[in-house]
Amino acid sequence: MIQISRLSRTDWFGPLLATVIGITIVQSFSATFLSAYNVQILLLAIAVNALVAFSQMIIIAIGQMNLSVGAIGGLAAISFAGALEVWGLPAPIALVFALFVGALCGMANGILIRITGISAFVITLATLSIYKGINLGITEAQPFYGIPDSVKNFGSALLIGPIPWLVVPTLLITLLLWFMLRRLPIGRFILAVGSNDHAAALSGISVGVTVVAAHAISGFLAAMAGVLVVARLQIGQPSIGDDWLILSFAAPVIGGAILAGGHVSTTATLLGVVIVAIITQALVLFSIDPFLVQVVLGAMILAAVGLNKLRARQPLKGSI
Amino acid sequence: MAATPIFEARGVEKAFPGVLALKGVNISLSPGSIHALLGENGAGKSTLIKVITGVHQPTAGAMFLDGVETSFASPRDAIAKGIGVVHQERNLFPRFSVAENIHLEQLATSYLKPVDYARLNREARPWLEALELDLDPATLVSELSVARMQLVEIAKALSLKSRVLLLDEPTASLTSSETDRLFSILRRLRDDGTSLVFVSHKLEEVQEICDRVTVLRDGANACDGLSMQGVDRNQLVQMMIGRAEGAAVWRHRDTSAQPEVLGLRGVSTVLGHRDITLSVRKGEIVGLYGLVGVGRTELAKAIMGQFPVTGGEVRVHGKTVQIGSVADAVHRHGLGYISEDRKTEGLILQHSVLANAGVPIWRKLSRAFGSLSDGRIETVVTPFLRKLEVKTPSLAQIVGNLSGGNQQKISVAKWLAAGVSFLIVDEPSVGIDIKTKAYLHDLLRELADNGTAILLISSDMPEMIALADRIAVMDNYRIKGEVANTGVYADISRNIMDLIHGPQASAVAV
Repeated sequence: MIQISRLSRTDWFGPLLATVIGITIVQSFSATFLSAYNVQILLLAIAVNALVAFSQMIIIAIGQMNLSVGAIGGLAAISFAGALEVWGLPAPIALVFALFVGALCGMANGILIRITGISAFVITLATLSIYKGINLGITEAQPFYGIPDSVKNFGSALLIGPIPWLVVPTLLITLLLWFMLRRLPIGRFILAVGSNDHAAALSGISVGVTVVAAHAISGFLAAMAGVLVVARLQIGQPSIGDDWLILSFAAPVIGGAILAGGHVSTTATLLGVVIVAIITQALVLFSIDPFLVQVVLGAMILAAVGLNKLRARQPLKGSI
Repeated sequence: MAATPIFEARGVEKAFPGVLALKGVNISLSPGSIHALLGENGAGKSTLIKVITGVHQPTAGAMFLDGVETSFASPRDAIAKGIGVVHQERNLFPRFSVAENIHLEQLATSYLKPVDYARLNREARPWLEALELDLDPATLVSELSVARMQLVEIAKALSLKSRVLLLDEPTASLTSSETDRLFSILRRLRDDGTSLVFVSHKLEEVQEICDRVTVLRDGANACDGLSMQGVDRNQLVQMMIGRAEGAAVWRHRDTSAQPEVLGLRGVSTVLGHRDITLSVRKGEIVGLYGLVGVGRTELAKAIMGQFPVTGGEVRVHGKTVQIGSVADAVHRHGLGYISEDRKTEGLILQHSVLANAGVPIWRKLSRAFGSLSDGRIETVVTPFLRKLEVKTPSLAQIVGNLSGGNQQKISVAKWLAAGVSFLIVDEPSVGIDIKTKAYLHDLLRELADNGTAILLISSDMPEMIALADRIAVMDNYRIKGEVANTGVYADISRNIMDLIHGPQASAVAV
């Protein structure tokens, strides 16, 4: 009993339980759910969505929010596709360029927030519009089609069994983020600043550098997600990223992130992405109206925030 | 002076736009001493601490470390030079371990070098042991009590090789036994050669533990490193406020003939109060004494309708009432509550003085005139602000920009302006300076004399005795009994302790 209550306090236990229960239920209704093809579809969605969620998670960790996650991802995606088609750059260089664009956009967010002292909400709302505007200005809303075969192959190739190659970068980034937030000073500083920026400054942490770094990481992750989508779709769609916002908040919050900052969990956020993917997939399998996905996502955010609130109270009671 | 000072500040001035906060202050800290830094709110204590710890740069004057002139570019710089500080507000990260909190400073030199937690825990242990803290360094800070958090902050400061350690109101949130423990630790640190600076409003504590004292008044020295020997409380007060403390005289008043304003009969609440019976008459000040956490503030909030009353009877002016909400309590029944937590519960820091002071009377004024006019509010509010000597450039000033003392005065003034017939005053003098406290006491007496019924919640026994007509004693969410105020400190405190700890206390459970 004691062990269960301790487990229930960790961030990953609840989402893991929900994942297992979710898979069991859906599988029992639809035997095709765990078919190789379906697992592949699930993993492809998870590979991209996890990066989107991490991009937001890192900003939630510093107690801010980034509304421009999707716009950065979209701009990076068309930068990648454009560099390939228009400039004819080799794929690795185009990748570096796109990631650089993403990190730069994120950094611009962070610097603007620090210099002006205006809330992240307003700044990223403005840059959302600016980045999207640049995107549409460059593409004139037309996709880039000239994606080389190497990229297309990467986007559709399977590693082993139903596991696509696309999950590899996501997996590596998950490990890196987990390590950063646990072990690297920059990760600890991000959590410290999110928890209490005044105290962080008094402990000798440069709050400005930390905030800008967090936004740069966020931009980088969004760009990575954008590039993966290009590889998967095999075209550079200007509309990439348009529908990321809700999901980017849903997964970290389901993973127990505290929106006020200072506490996020990489593993639980990943599980949050998995849960969202399972539910989305289930609605498709049961041929329920896909528009209902939005409603379900919204309801899940509300439920998760409520649960987090309850959980936050529990340890207090125990210690008094 | 016996030893060469570790730290010395000479003629330090600090100007803010429009204000000269420090007008040439001297302070000199010797090794192995506990130095009291006293002053009323707004005297310049906080500014001086900020200058010494590198938060502010002085506009003029010089600072010396071991006799060598120095300056602090930033808080980090001051820390690196051996100036540690434990701030009044907690500066720990609750979700980080004790060890990481202690050593965060050392981590801040690099962004990418992996953190070695085993080493952090190992290195944190000696500092915890030095403070007799029996604690696993890997424990999360969120699991500690407030007192232990404070000791962790001291451990953090010590681990930075602080030779000067500033403690800003370290006992504000401690119980008396925790305070004793803290003091024995501070004495040991002193004996090991650390120079401690102790900032507190509690003069008894200052007299108990400090050997030297520097008093600031209006941004200048009222005294500089005076030896505490032979200095009595009255002299300290005189230096702080420029006059002797008006002795808080208790006066006996007979209010038994007055009608009851608020009566509780066998009240229980969702918060766990059982069988609360309490009566406050017109013009009476009833003290509600008890230790922190026994349910006093909670009872106040239940009376104000914030938490439901589940049993018993609440009577206002003799009529049984059901108070459903705070708005109900304020507007329908004329009950007011001055919160202990003025900053988060009492004031809207971003709003103006006028807006804050006028909140409870908006409804009243708007009902009579259809709409609100600032001028109308101003005429009602101004006399009370003036009486409390609120120092503000104008009524349009944002409350958040005023000093803490002035903020507290405004939160009192707003209820006075509302003209409530029953007022709960929760720990009115926590963190308030002596002069303001004396005014506040005069004011509460005057209010009572004019017919307001007051329920005074306080852990400050002298304050209780100075103000209350009778004292109800609370323990564990129950009223243990009442003590008449005879004005004799020893009798009353013994009676109260009997009620809380005595044999009869455990038997009373009806």
